[in-house]
Amino acid sequence: MQKILVVLALILLPRLCCGIASAQETKLEMYLWNRYTLERVAGETKKSEFALKRGYLRLDHKFSDNIKGRVNLDFFSDEDYPDGAGIKLKYAYLDFKEVLPIPESKFTFGLQKTYFGTIYDWKYVTIQKALEDKEKVISSTDYGVALFGYIPKGLGEYAASILNGEGYKKTGGDINTKPAYLANLRVIPIPGVTLGGSVLYEERGPEYDKRLLYAGVVRTAFGPLDMWGEYLTAERGEFNNPTRSVGFMVMPILKLANLTGADVELVARYDKWDKDTDIEDNAHSRLTGGFNWYIQRRAKGKPAIMLQANYERTSYENPGKDPKDNLMVQFRWEFASKPF
Amino acid sequence: MKTKTVVGLIALMLMITANQVFAWDWPWARKKKANTITLTGSTTVLPIAQRAAETFMEIRPKANISVRGGGSGVGIAALIDGTADIANASRPMKTKEVKTAREKGINPVETIIARDGIAIIVHPENPINELSLAQLKDIYTGEIAGWGEVGGETKTIVVVSRDVASGTFEVFKKLVLRGDKTRDDALMLASNKAVATTVAQAPGGIGYVGLAYISPAVKVLKMEGALPSLETVAKGEYKLARPLFMYTNGKPKGLAKEFIDFILSPQGQGIVKDLGFVPVK
Repeated sequence: MQKILVVLALILLPRLCCGIASAQETKLEMYLWNRYTLERVAGETKKSEFALKRGYLRLDHKFSDNIKGRVNLDFFSDEDYPDGAGIKLKYAYLDFKEVLPIPESKFTFGLQKTYFGTIYDWKYVTIQKALEDKEKVISSTDYGVALFGYIPKGLGEYAASILNGEGYKKTGGDINTKPAYLANLRVIPIPGVTLGGSVLYEERGPEYDKRLLYAGVVRTAFGPLDMWGEYLTAERGEFNNPTRSVGFMVMPILKLANLTGADVELVARYDKWDKDTDIEDNAHSRLTGGFNWYIQRRAKGKPAIMLQANYERTSYENPGKDPKDNLMVQFRWEFASKPF
Repeated sequence: MKTKTVVGLIALMLMITANQVFAWDWPWARKKKANTITLTGSTTVLPIAQRAAETFMEIRPKANISVRGGGSGVGIAALIDGTADIANASRPMKTKEVKTAREKGINPVETIIARDGIAIIVHPENPINELSLAQLKDIYTGEIAGWGEVGGETKTIVVVSRDVASGTFEVFKKLVLRGDKTRDDALMLASNKAVATTVAQAPGGIGYVGLAYISPAVKVLKMEGALPSLETVAKGEYKLARPLFMYTNGKPKGLAKEFIDFILSPQGQGIVKDLGFVPVK
């Protein structure tokens, strides 16, 4: 199936590009992440590889000012796949703006963002995923319907979604008898201070009674210093005796453009995740340091070519488990047929 | 215990870094900023900004004012990213842009520096003199494809528009298209100048530009009975009119304040008027 999709994409791409040249409101975007990874555990090299870790082929189409669609194919290298690579559908949705008489609001139908914690606006300032994504608490996209809107005067945003709850990677893997309900709120009381919270609740079949997730988000940005913080809890499993997971992330970013003249930022990050709070020595932590160099930006400030380098150490509470060191260096490059 | 130590160390590093960042205030950058500002954005506002900058730098020889175009969206993005001190815009900021700015610690404050009419232009040999807003909308959405359908010659209409980064495009969409989409084969150009040049060379062409880009090379059409001019825009008789903005992070200060104050001064507003825009003071 994946091979068929790849072949179809390769056949259709040139036709799509030709069509787009004359179509005013269609945008083609490509995102590619070429990465070198060195992984070492207890002094032994476990991995030293070059790979196309991620690639997005994205098509946006504006049917009108109020109706927009997006389709996004996700390519990735993965040793678990027979060809060493895979392809998945990441987005396929329609946005309908201002269906309700609420200004700056939209309804979204289809495979779309999950408005939870930091996952939905994660910009990969570190190469690593958002905490909830990395620890497989929630998938970054899912099938469903959502209402999203901006609070007037730029004071924040809100979202409420009804989703399958399985995420884009596992569609059909679970029984969809009951949907997942998701609510998210971000407020910016003063410029530079963002406070947010998300909650997801889902009841399912007898083997997975419930899932209850909470996330709290804090962001402060003053001058060249931008700092993110997130606290995350997850209850999953039996209805009256779920497994409780807890974690947090702190990520300071220091922009050096004014200092160096180059569009460079330093980033540090600390994650802590305890998958089951009832089990001793079960938690792990991840300390990351690195830099981002925006060699070129696209219109409206998006990265066009970006060099990222991260060193990451994962330590385990379990004394029998050796820490893992990762060095990742990647070029992220992106381009689009037009800037909208 | 180990976690607490690491978190404590990070917090300490952050405090030291933050303290240094704010205490130092990048002395070399401060020196540079004291004499330099960058304006980016709307190509409609560009002539005002350029002429005002030239005059201002004659009065203040040590001041260095860099002016760039790119479109209102690009200018606003530059203000949000901290790469511009002033964003020139021919449309108000969108809620999403204000939200993004506030998230990044930028507090956008708008100053209206002039008013402008969006002039509808055609090739000088086109016999049409006037259109209604409804006819204009139909031309841009593709409902009307030939000049013969609005009383002109049997020529195909070549629709010329601004691209999506343009504030003029946003205002045109709001005032004329009212939610509908521009026809797929419209030429989407990156500047007012490009639109004026293209229409001047295309016998079937129609486009829209700011008042400063009107020249004898193109013919300006009446809209709903009014020609765009200082008087009709100022009196509200010309329907396709909008304010022009300069956005700063917080209330203008330093050289940015001096420059905006200059534009709002009688001398600056004289430049606005000379260029064909409508003064606000």
